[in-house]
Amino acid sequence: MTLRNGLVLLVCLAASILESTLPFLFHLKAVRADLLLSVVLYLALNDEVVQGAALSLAAGYLSDLTSATPPFLYTFLAVLTFVVIRLAGSAFKTGGGPQSAAVAFAASLIHSSLAAVLFYFVAPGSEGLVLQFVPLFWSALGTAIAAPAVFSVLRRLDKALVPAEAATLVR
Amino acid sequence: MRSLLRRYREPVFVAFLLALPFAFFAAKARKPMHHNYFDRAILALTAPLEKAIVVAVNGVQDAWHGYVALRGVREENLRLRREALHEHNEASALAEVKAENERLKRLLEYADRQSPTRYLAAEVIAVGASPHSHVLRIARGTADGVTQGAPVVAPEGVVGQVAVATAHYADVQLILSPTSAVPAISQRTRGRSTVKGVGDVTRCKLEYALRTDDLQDGDLLLTAGGPGFFPKGLPIGRVVNVGKRATGMFTAADVIPAVTFSRLDEVMVVLGHLPPPSSAANALRGDPQ
Repeated sequence: MTLRNGLVLLVCLAASILESTLPFLFHLKAVRADLLLSVVLYLALNDEVVQGAALSLAAGYLSDLTSATPPFLYTFLAVLTFVVIRLAGSAFKTGGGPQSAAVAFAASLIHSSLAAVLFYFVAPGSEGLVLQFVPLFWSALGTAIAAPAVFSVLRRLDKALVPAEAATLVR
Repeated sequence: MRSLLRRYREPVFVAFLLALPFAFFAAKARKPMHHNYFDRAILALTAPLEKAIVVAVNGVQDAWHGYVALRGVREENLRLRREALHEHNEASALAEVKAENERLKRLLEYADRQSPTRYLAAEVIAVGASPHSHVLRIARGTADGVTQGAPVVAPEGVVGQVAVATAHYADVQLILSPTSAVPAISQRTRGRSTVKGVGDVTRCKLEYALRTDDLQDGDLLLTAGGPGFFPKGLPIGRVVNVGKRATGMFTAADVIPAVTFSRLDEVMVVLGHLPPPSSAANALRGDPQ
């Protein structure tokens, strides 16, 4: 594991802690930013496939740990999101904040809807699909607001580390 | 074969990473949640950090509020003296009510002794971030006696049940979760029903309420009790949007939870019922029940 991957995992861990403490501290009912999803989006748009998919799996696993939903739901969805965004990646340009926010908003809506579909059909005690669009919308909005910050942190990390690691490999 | 694998290394690896969690998800979705050693290690790392952040931010907030409260304290002092004079007059009128209250309290204490329940106060340190995870993380775990499935309540009413517990932390699934169902009884009509989560943060759904029960908007629902469930008589929420149907067995309605989940700082975990004094004494003597 490279230093860069280790640091990305640390960012995931920090994102997991922040996304579960901030809504509590600020009494946020619905506008909950999915920071780990933003990490997955960044990886899908900037990382190589094998490495990005493995890191997305780790991000999804952390998401599972904080959600108490059926295990591996978010792990699966994180890798799926990575694949879908990766395949559609050529259509997205996320150089600036607004673009990354727009991608995060759309991805969060789709990600949450898919989670709802899987959750309601497979989870015990569920009685079919009931999509709650209002919480999904607010969550997507929170994710869109936070995504540029997450992208910026990861971009800085890459700028600082990738040349150094490349130089190490050349030597 | 090897060259084929090398050629399609990326798609094969990604397909494997997709298939693996999906297989686990499909296999484990209907089973009770359980943390393995690795999960526990991660939680042991993150939960204290979450707690530290909450304690630090709350400390700063408390210090700031304390400073703000000191400003204008002289004016407040004068106002309070005037109010104290007024309150003194009212106090004498309340003395009679107090005596009655004491009498009723003694009666209640008698009732409580019949089946006292053990509660454990727990600090909330985090919430689930996703819109599908109606979860609170509390700073109490199996080391404090918390067990999976233990009911969790607040002074305002029912909160949820412990979904997973580690040694020092536990995740509480709120009654808003689609997997939650709480047996309820109407305070006014005494009719039984079930309050079911639908995944909405503001309301639950009322199920199995008989049409003949005459439920009305604003009716208070309490826990119906029963072994393994919440203690009897705790507020769950108020009935709204009662749909009066001409046919069918059940009434359709929504329930607004009594607890504001986004403003919970502390909750109480129900650890179980204390044995009655006689059975406790027998247990100490080693007598069979």
